Amino acid sequence: MSEGLEVFLTFLRLGLISFGGGMANLPEMARTLIAQGWVTPQQFADGFALGQFVPGPNMLAVVFYGLSAAGPLGALAALLGMFLPGAAGAVVLVHGWRWMARARWSRALRKALVPVSMGLSLSMLLVLIELGMDKPWSFAVMALATLLIYRGANILAVMLGGGVLGLSVSLLWG
Amino acid sequence: MRVPLPQLFTAFLYVGLTAFGGGGTAHIYELMVVRRGWLSEREFLETTALCRVLPGPVFANLAAHLGARLGGALGGVAALAGVLLPGVSLMLLLSLAYFRFGALPGSSVEGALSGVAAAAIGLILATVLRQARIGLDSLKAVLLALVVFVTYGLLHWSLLLVLLLTVPVGVALYWREAEAG
Repeated sequence: MSEGLEVFLTFLRLGLISFGGGMANLPEMARTLIAQGWVTPQQFADGFALGQFVPGPNMLAVVFYGLSAAGPLGALAALLGMFLPGAAGAVVLVHGWRWMARARWSRALRKALVPVSMGLSLSMLLVLIELGMDKPWSFAVMALATLLIYRGANILAVMLGGGVLGLSVSLLWG
Repeated sequence: MRVPLPQLFTAFLYVGLTAFGGGGTAHIYELMVVRRGWLSEREFLETTALCRVLPGPVFANLAAHLGARLGGALGGVAALAGVLLPGVSLMLLLSLAYFRFGALPGSSVEGALSGVAAAAIGLILATVLRQARIGLDSLKAVLLALVVFVTYGLLHWSLLLVLLLTVPVGVALYWREAEAG
């Protein structure tokens, strides 16, 4: 139980500060979870990769990380910790959203969050490259995927394609 | 407008089941505005912008908020549960399989996962490139993004500290532009 609570509090902290899009906290999450010994760097990258195959909000990889940390209870704890802060705020926002849509500070905040979240995304990219690009051919697959998705290809198809490419390369030269 | 809970839950369950590869807000737009007409386009855009200010994924926040607006606090819970349930169940299955059967270093499963990871990083890079065209439209925007990247990405400062330093500065920089129009 105390382990589940620890997982919940860790993800609650990460969930509370994940401003600027849900994955802004990914670098901090990687540092925290790896330092706690809940996942290895390899597992962190693998969990993130698996998360690309499930529908719904991004960051469902927290289920993987919670499971690795403390079993099924940990998965639930990680999920609640990650999604509760924003969802609770969103429900409270039902009252006063009209006022907030017009308030000057909230307009300024929304404008400011655009470049801030760009900086956060770049940081996230750096961490993922450090953790996930572990094969000599990784950069080629990444470049190809970037080009295809930038030009509007189906995302799920590109992810599957990446998997098939990785599989064939390791079968041929494994 | 008031929508019964079961109807809210199944509507958002459908979104949770079909929204692959991010871009969830577009799916919610399709559901709320185009198909069901539960919300006007303007209301939707204003609400989405507000949900960006909250922590966590915009997709989940938007579901919880719209559920609550159409069905009270319980509606918020129903919408969030609907949107999360399919993905969480599938993620749990995939994770259990991963830890049960493992992906041994050098195995072909490991190779496949590395390929997916590289493609996923490509997805994020493509998204960043797209956003940069619109988002980095002024010197102050570029500088703000750069400061965040250097402190958070390169120097490994804590996210909370980075946000406490850069967000107020950003609000001040955009204060003039934010005049009610």
